[in-house]
Amino acid sequence: MRNWISLAALSGLLVVAPAAAQEELVSGLSQDVVEITSDYTGTELTVFGAIERPAQSTPGDIVVVVRGPGATMTVRRKDRIAGVWINNARARLVGMPSYYFLASTASLGKIASGDTLRRYDLGLDTLRPDTAISDGSIVPYVRALVRAQVNNGLYGQNITGVEMLSPTLFRVRVPVPAAVPRGSYLVQVYLFRDGAVASAQSTPLYVDQTGFNRRLYDFAHLWPLSYGISTVLLAVLLGWVSTLFFRRSM
Amino acid sequence: MEIYLPIAEMSVHWLIVLGMGFGVGFLSGVFGIGGGFLLTPLLIFYGIPPGVAVATTASQVTSATFSGVISHWRRGSVDLKMGTVMVGAGLVGTAVGVFLFSVLRRMGQSEFLVSASYVILLGSVGGLMLTESVRTLRAGGSAGGRKPGQHSWIHGLPLKMRFRQSRLYISAIPVLALGFVVGVLSAIMGVGGAFLMVPVMIYVLKMPTNVVIGTSLFQVFFVTAAATVLHAVDNYTVDIVLALFLILGGVFGVQYGVRVGAKLRGEQLRFFLALLVLAVAARLFVDMVATPADLYSVAAAMP
Repeated sequence: MRNWISLAALSGLLVVAPAAAQEELVSGLSQDVVEITSDYTGTELTVFGAIERPAQSTPGDIVVVVRGPGATMTVRRKDRIAGVWINNARARLVGMPSYYFLASTASLGKIASGDTLRRYDLGLDTLRPDTAISDGSIVPYVRALVRAQVNNGLYGQNITGVEMLSPTLFRVRVPVPAAVPRGSYLVQVYLFRDGAVASAQSTPLYVDQTGFNRRLYDFAHLWPLSYGISTVLLAVLLGWVSTLFFRRSM
Repeated sequence: MEIYLPIAEMSVHWLIVLGMGFGVGFLSGVFGIGGGFLLTPLLIFYGIPPGVAVATTASQVTSATFSGVISHWRRGSVDLKMGTVMVGAGLVGTAVGVFLFSVLRRMGQSEFLVSASYVILLGSVGGLMLTESVRTLRAGGSAGGRKPGQHSWIHGLPLKMRFRQSRLYISAIPVLALGFVVGVLSAIMGVGGAFLMVPVMIYVLKMPTNVVIGTSLFQVFFVTAAATVLHAVDNYTVDIVLALFLILGGVFGVQYGVRVGAKLRGEQLRFFLALLVLAVAARLFVDMVATPADLYSVAAAMP
């Protein structure tokens, strides 16, 4: 009897919702770790993926988001006081992504409603800090931060950034600038159909210094006094060597 | 070829950094200034985070001034006694300055006060030096700021000491006060303070110009070496890779600078230094008054 019920339930499920259960997003990264070495000048990551067992013949919309570790930033506003521009107001924004890149197949407004986009933090204008202390509304400060980060290449949004190689295969090139913050990143891929998320997948990505750089960074943070003294000794040594060099050559 | 800076966490072109070090080192050798007030803004303009720029500049100035001190030492143009008295007062001043700076930062106006004090100090010092050097150049005199036989209130002060190299017999009080003030300024403004010290030594203490330069390099060396270590310990902002390239450029710049400086007459040196100081003051003043391109500025909070 019990077997009968479960079998009926199972077959019912298969009949009622075959598409939602089966449609699946598979994606991967060209590399899981970005290693910052001495000659690192920025790089490019490729996110590629496929829609397996597509529910409809029409391709859905793909949105790919790469988000860096959260950071605390202070944004200050200058005002003119007695003819001089002075920092007069500020906001401390906690939990803004240190890196944010979004690519999609169409403009975000066509893919989903504003509410849906905000729920998934999709789009530069949906970014909000976790908490904030500010003089007045946080909105102008957040906008200023996004503007500055876009100028630095740390925030980006490309509404034609997802290349559809076939109705089910896609690829995204993600720019990783030289000034990229270290830490653990999250790459999220969403498949939208009719304004709703039909499938999603996320993959971690790590950005870290390696080799000699890493050792210097650790030295500076673990033994700051020795590091500082070493820097002074290096300075003194090079200063002294240069005078010897000049005495011989002149 | 680009190189990655492990502390600044960004990459820079090595030739540009080397060139900056050379240029500032050259000026440092000519005028006996550390050059921090030029190098820090240059680095920030190039995109280095301000904290790293200030701290790493200190290490470059340490090296450039050490190289300069050795060259001046061989010429006998370092007044060791005067320098030692100033360094002692300077280290006390640095400690007081570090405390003052933290108070200013809590008030939230440190940036404005730093710019304003730069403009006022550089503007008045530069203006005074410019008028004096032009007057001396016109008169065709070569005695410089030193007028033997002329006595001022400085000579009435007690605690007299003899400074043989400077051919002076004056009170230690103005020397200590100068060292102290320069120490305070170097902590607040992130510079060695020689641009302030050089004119005071020339016009108030009436030291010979060539000894002034060697002695101020001596003082700046100790102050910036201490600042480098303090920044490394407190803020982790000294980038040794950036420092290496700035230093390599800087030490050669200083050596050429010292040779060029030796060929110039005292009042010519002061004239060019005055122009340089006034140019930096004008630039900072324009920045304070002109409408900024973006009213908002972003600073990453230290973790």
